[in-house]
Amino acid sequence: MFNFRGKAYLTLMTFCIKIIFRKQINYHVFFMIAIINYKMGNLQSVGNLLEYLGEEYVITDKKEEIAGADKIILPGVGAFTEAMKNLRELDLLDILKEEVLEKKKPFLGICLGMQILAEKGYEGGECDGLGFLKGEVRHFDLKDKKLPIPHVGWNTVKPKEGSILYGNDVRERVFYFVHSYHLICKDEEDVSGYADYGGNFVASVEKGNIFATQFHPEKSQDDGIEVFKNFLAYKSA
Amino acid sequence: MLKKRLIACLLLKDGQLVESIGFSRFLVVGNAIMAVKHFNAWGVDEIIFLDINREKNYDFERNDVYYDNTLKEFAEVIRYVSKSSFVPITAGGGIRSLDDIRKYLSAGADKVSINSAAIENLQIITEGAKRFGKQCLVVSVDAKKMPDGTHHVMKNFGKEDTGMNVVEWAKKAEEAGAGEIFLTSVDMDGSLQGYDIPLIKSVVEAVNIPVIASGGVGDWNHLVEGIELGGVAAVSVGNKFHFTEHSTMHAKKYMKEHGIDTR
Amino acid sequence: MKWCAKCLYPESSAVKLSFDEKGVCSGCSVNEQKAEIDWDKRAEMLKEIVETYRSKDGSNYDCIIPVSGGKDSHYQTYYMTKKLGLKPLLVTYHGNNYLEVGEENLKNMRNVFDVDHMIFSPSVEVLKKLNRICFKLMGDMNWHAHAGIFSTPVQVAVKFNIPLIIWGEHGRLDLGGQYSLNDLVEMTARDILEHCKRGYDWDSMTDEGLKKLGRPELSEGLTARDLFCYKYPDMRDIARVGVRGLYLGNYISWDANKQTKFVIDNYNFKISEQSFDRTYRKMSNLDDMHENGIHDYLKYIKFGYGRATDHASKDIRLGIMTREEGIEMVKKYDHVKPRDLYRWLEYVGMKEEEFDRVCDTFRDPKVWRKNDKGEWEKDNMWDDKK
Repeated sequence: MFNFRGKAYLTLMTFCIKIIFRKQINYHVFFMIAIINYKMGNLQSVGNLLEYLGEEYVITDKKEEIAGADKIILPGVGAFTEAMKNLRELDLLDILKEEVLEKKKPFLGICLGMQILAEKGYEGGECDGLGFLKGEVRHFDLKDKKLPIPHVGWNTVKPKEGSILYGNDVRERVFYFVHSYHLICKDEEDVSGYADYGGNFVASVEKGNIFATQFHPEKSQDDGIEVFKNFLAYKSA
Repeated sequence: MLKKRLIACLLLKDGQLVESIGFSRFLVVGNAIMAVKHFNAWGVDEIIFLDINREKNYDFERNDVYYDNTLKEFAEVIRYVSKSSFVPITAGGGIRSLDDIRKYLSAGADKVSINSAAIENLQIITEGAKRFGKQCLVVSVDAKKMPDGTHHVMKNFGKEDTGMNVVEWAKKAEEAGAGEIFLTSVDMDGSLQGYDIPLIKSVVEAVNIPVIASGGVGDWNHLVEGIELGGVAAVSVGNKFHFTEHSTMHAKKYMKEHGIDTR
Repeated sequence: MKWCAKCLYPESSAVKLSFDEKGVCSGCSVNEQKAEIDWDKRAEMLKEIVETYRSKDGSNYDCIIPVSGGKDSHYQTYYMTKKLGLKPLLVTYHGNNYLEVGEENLKNMRNVFDVDHMIFSPSVEVLKKLNRICFKLMGDMNWHAHAGIFSTPVQVAVKFNIPLIIWGEHGRLDLGGQYSLNDLVEMTARDILEHCKRGYDWDSMTDEGLKKLGRPELSEGLTARDLFCYKYPDMRDIARVGVRGLYLGNYISWDANKQTKFVIDNYNFKISEQSFDRTYRKMSNLDDMHENGIHDYLKYIKFGYGRATDHASKDIRLGIMTREEGIEMVKKYDHVKPRDLYRWLEYVGMKEEEFDRVCDTFRDPKVWRKNDKGEWEKDNMWDDKK
């Protein structure tokens, strides 16, 4: 009864709201996923997949909605510096730190959304990241291998044992990547999967409630859908 | 390692999907949503979605079909089809400004393809790369073979010769910030005779960004040629994917059987 | 409204057309390809493909031929049995709308060809319900026929493990040039769902399906097991069996008139002695009295043209009718409200006023307008003729 997230409690709440305020609300409103809108990338793709999976979501840059959400997703395509500039201008740095580091809300960063978790990025000059993970973001250095950049297309990921995103299954999967920079982690245990493009690079990270992928699970069909489902099923300790 | 991509190229003309033959004859194949749903189910790697004629709309609204046949603007169509696509969509056609890029990306496109606008003003690529990231920008190049054997860049649906050499243009586009080059042979388009391999090879060797081959596939072997002889990162097929059951699956099977690493 | 410069199709055609600079439609330009194709080579191609599907140990049928009993069915069966020496299984979806002569022709098939013939006759109650639902939902009481004809034989192919299906011509390629004859297009689930079924599948016809579509008032209590004939097999089964549907029209130069004469002379095919209300041809659609009748009348209501336009355009392209003669046919037949309407009204239990009212909801506003007297009128191709 006193578990504020319990189904019984919420059913009672919505019933009370219906009686007192004569307003009908669905208790799913309490299980909302916030997709952060900081003007970087195709947010609707993530929304489309959540809709397909039957999840409620809101695309937002409002602090109250982020604070009220059950889980946070930070997608992103574009430049590191632009991303951080936008987050700063929208005054979202503090709320993210609070929700993710202190309240330990489940968090999923995608592509650029993973890269800015680093301490520093070097796209167009040195720039501070969110610092949620130890490490830095650098451009691929592949000239001697004659591989085109950006790294665009489907590549194989080798998951580590015990990972949550991959359902603790080390079977290789294939995901869609599109990036020119990559994250270099200082702490090896943060890494949950590697891919190979002229050498191994970090494909995904998992640290407590913080999850992130360099690839786009919302554009990776079945394997991507599975990663999303595993993230959505995760409950913070 | 990174796999070779198989891309379905969908051409939208006045609201309907069409087959294109030499950039001049078009046969109306059907509605975009059916193609997107089926190609997704048949495991295609990416979809390139181009709006190729925006002059006149003879798309008659029908209230007797189950798919939406009333969408009038390309952005609306992108929004409608992207809901059913869990592989990336590159949208192009009529992009003239950064606002257009933003419009298509917010409608649901993962990347945009720019052709004539880049020829007229390369700044749109430079600015676009800064604002949205070069990963989102595909420069689409239509090339026609000249009597002297070189290839010139064409604009205005393959009708106007810009006089520019294809290789030089590709290099300029790369320098300006293009993420990929989508290279179509106007001569081979709809011919079912295969890609223009010398054309493709010349561009692949000149740039260090991924090149996508397009125009002329009639046989799955052409895909293998494009990758092995042309050296491209991805092969795109237009007309041929509309003709047979599970077409993209058969194409991939053929590619794998001939040693191509694809998903 | 614009019409093709060569045939009689309007811009509003149900099969979307594209027009060239001279105003000639894609249907005409694709038909013109017939003269340029090496048909001997095509016949060889077909032979080669068919060989790979012939049952090696004779333990199964070599292919399936979906048939209605009509002129095309007879010709297809003749070609596959006599010219290519195959043992096919004929599969018919019986929509309960046969003309007497059509029913006779259907029964004729296993008399004149050495073939086994499977006829699928769905429950008449289910058919009546589908007639009513689909008329109101999409202005097409014959949806069941389009869906059944293109789904049932494919179901049989999967269940009996017979991968090869031989169709006649690709209808929309022939009418409107949906594909080119050089494309060698084959049967696909997508084409069937999008064009034959108009995007509606069997699950749209159940009470739940209609509710999802926002049309619960059309519910007739249909459930999944009433709709077996209309389900296209799952793509995994198609892949497993290797089902492949070819169009004979890609491999032989299709001429409906010549082929009809051939099967009349050699295989006891009979044409209708009675004329139809909406067309001058007597050899087409004997398997379904509504195809040339009210189903076609609804095409007129929706798009402003009918069967006479279809048949005359085909004959103009075959060179046996001039455009002027065609226009006379269209003038005479396209607008006629046919008599089979009364059979249908009694069959499904509807009144004519309701029929007319529902029809009007499907009129295309780009084609139709009301004049001062409140009557429906539209542009006609003979309006500018001085």
